[in-house]
Amino acid sequence: MVKAFKKYVLLTDTEQGDPERIKKIHDLFLAVLRVIGGDEEIQVVRTSDVGIYGRGVVAQILPDNIFYAGVQEEHVRQIIEEGIFQQKKLEAIAFEPKDKQLRIVLRNCGVIDPERIEDYIAQDGYFAIHKVLTQFTPEQVVNEMKISGLRGRGGGGFPTWMKWNIARGVTADQKYIICNGDEGDPGAYMDRSVLEGDPHSVIEGLMIGGYAMGATKGFLYIRAEYPLAVERVQKAIIQARERGLLGENIFGTGFNFDCEIRLGAGAFVCGEETALIASIEGRRGYPSPRPPYPAIKGLWGKPTVINNVETLANIPVIFLKGGAWFASIGTETAKGTKVFALTGKVKNSSLIEVPMGISLREIVFEVGGGILNNKKIKAIQTGGPSGGVIPEHYFDTPVDYDQLQKLGSIMGSGGMIVMDETDCIVDIAKFYLGFCVDESCGKCAPCRIGGTQLLHILTEISEGRGKIEDVEKLKRISFAMQKASLCGLGQTASNPVASSLKYFYEEYKAHILENRCPSGKCSRLFRYRVVEDKCKRCSLCQRNCPVNVISGDREKGFVIDAAKCVKCGKCFEVCKFGAIAR
Amino acid sequence: MTSVLPGSAAVGEELVMAKITKEQLDGIKAQSVGDSGNWVRVGMSTCGIAAGADKTFEKLTAQMKERELEVRVERCGCAGKCFAEPLVEVAVEGMPVVIYGRVDENVAVEIVDKHILGKKLLNDHIYSVKAG
Ligand SMILES: Cc1cc2nc3c(=O)[nH]c(=O)nc-3n(C[C@H](O)[C@H](O)[C@H](O)COP(=O)(O)O)c2cc1C
Ligand code: FES
Repeated sequence: MVKAFKKYVLLTDTEQGDPERIKKIHDLFLAVLRVIGGDEEIQVVRTSDVGIYGRGVVAQILPDNIFYAGVQEEHVRQIIEEGIFQQKKLEAIAFEPKDKQLRIVLRNCGVIDPERIEDYIAQDGYFAIHKVLTQFTPEQVVNEMKISGLRGRGGGGFPTWMKWNIARGVTADQKYIICNGDEGDPGAYMDRSVLEGDPHSVIEGLMIGGYAMGATKGFLYIRAEYPLAVERVQKAIIQARERGLLGENIFGTGFNFDCEIRLGAGAFVCGEETALIASIEGRRGYPSPRPPYPAIKGLWGKPTVINNVETLANIPVIFLKGGAWFASIGTETAKGTKVFALTGKVKNSSLIEVPMGISLREIVFEVGGGILNNKKIKAIQTGGPSGGVIPEHYFDTPVDYDQLQKLGSIMGSGGMIVMDETDCIVDIAKFYLGFCVDESCGKCAPCRIGGTQLLHILTEISEGRGKIEDVEKLKRISFAMQKASLCGLGQTASNPVASSLKYFYEEYKAHILENRCPSGKCSRLFRYRVVEDKCKRCSLCQRNCPVNVISGDREKGFVIDAAKCVKCGKCFEVCKFGAIAR
Repeated sequence: MTSVLPGSAAVGEELVMAKITKEQLDGIKAQSVGDSGNWVRVGMSTCGIAAGADKTFEKLTAQMKERELEVRVERCGCAGKCFAEPLVEVAVEGMPVVIYGRVDENVAVEIVDKHILGKKLLNDHIYSVKAG
């Protein structure tokens, strides 16, 4: 039997840049251990990433769990001799990492087997519904939710207790509760991960909501593009039924509840609650004017509450640990945590859960590991196509519903896209708007016509045909869409345009007045050319041009034929001397 | 685990579902092996599977069988570090619990050879460490 080591030194380079640095320190550790002895007892390991950033080389000693940051070659011997052998803490370089993440919604994701109900039960699953059914009246459930301060995570941020209470107050022979798992925002996959990783927590949340409002029937509306989520939720429902956790007289308390899945066909607008209801009823997924609100008159005319996946996954924990506990996390107006899908130009694209009130800067740099390839950060897009861009100088803003709204964006459902200096703001606005134009159901004119016009103007600007008067037009159309559109899609579709105009007007101006795209993204607006004095005549650009439009030789130098250039950017990329300009 | 489903029993002509009780929930919880013993756990959500987690899972399962190792191969949802999928958490008694990232079939075999049999952590693949 091979014996395990007694101690481990885990080395991580927490900065991007020199891949050799970590190897050198690693080798030095090994060399010193060999000389002074101890290589049988201590293993020195290079890791890739331990969730700490910007601290130089970090050494983590296990099992003691002591961290040293900014480790240099001269520290190596000291760490081994004093830190490990003599068990002293080296105060000068000691450091205690703080975990910025807090997992409530994702508590079981990556922990349990989502296809085994026993695994969920072993993590206190279905204990919350038991507690609720045996110790709470529906009013008390609503009250506990009010204490918790939980607000909807699907985008609107409406207090969950209030919805439940409205529906509870209506008398009807049948009521419904629906889990909204439509998740259509580009770049978002929070809800998918919860449905796939911990389906029972959503079902349990649905049951508690059903009990509070008096619904005996639940639906999980899941987009058909999420086959694995559908499969796992289906398995979970069957297992819960087999155990008698769904069905009649649950826990012998007289409470009846069952739920089933409805598939969405992947239209973004079907995530909107009235369109979603229409879609479940088998009608075309068109939104309709509110009021009446679904809580009063919803699915088949019955009182209906619609809650987002993440909202529901919070609920069992609120009842296990108490509303007051939940309310102790977060800010004055936003309690608990938020799950974000952090993507774009961030080093670690990941699914994160952080307490409300954390700053955007902490999210990008301390959770996400900073910007890819050490580029300069430009902005963050939150809230997907209904949200807006937030420039870097607002990154210290605490993340909650109201703060983000003040900045002209929204919390949204949790997509968070990081942009660096190479991303063009006009291009981004165009992308989101294009998405909404594609997804608009076309029922109302402001959204259908306004969106198309906005997109047309943005395209003109990005191709060098913009006029300065267009800016005013963009604003006017945006305003009209916000005020007059039928549903949230049209009302918010212009947000990315409005917020980018607000913060990056200079960039719009550069496109319009100078025919210049500062980030070099809008390819219609620039030409590649060789800068004579920087060119070392290595011919790399010529050899790499896929369309062979770079003429010349190593004697005379090189010229790019602008008329034939396809602007692929290959020469720009390969030139080692910065001799290609655009 | 529980061999009979608590619940389904035929009474007369009807099929009646007996209700699960709080005691049975407690029982299931108490019986759970949880995090004890030796195990590997593969992140098998959409982004894990897109990165090849199902192959990794199969490889690990086959390896444990072939080499007659008493190591449970489990599956779980998304652990969040999507940039480093496929993710495999490895727990061997007496060693730190770590999550390895970018575990393709080759790395999976390496984990068995070096970590599980050789009791050594792998270089350049650790993406998370559980203290203790
Ligand atoms: C165009 C549009 C798309 C929406 N898509 C979703 C979605 O995919 N998932 C979701 O939970 N809510 C979505 N919503 C918000 C829902 O209408 C609704 O407010 C939400 O599901 C309520 O749940 P909550 O209170 O738990 O947040 C969307 C709204 C609009 C206007
Ligand atoms: S699916 Fe595994 S980290 Fe995302």
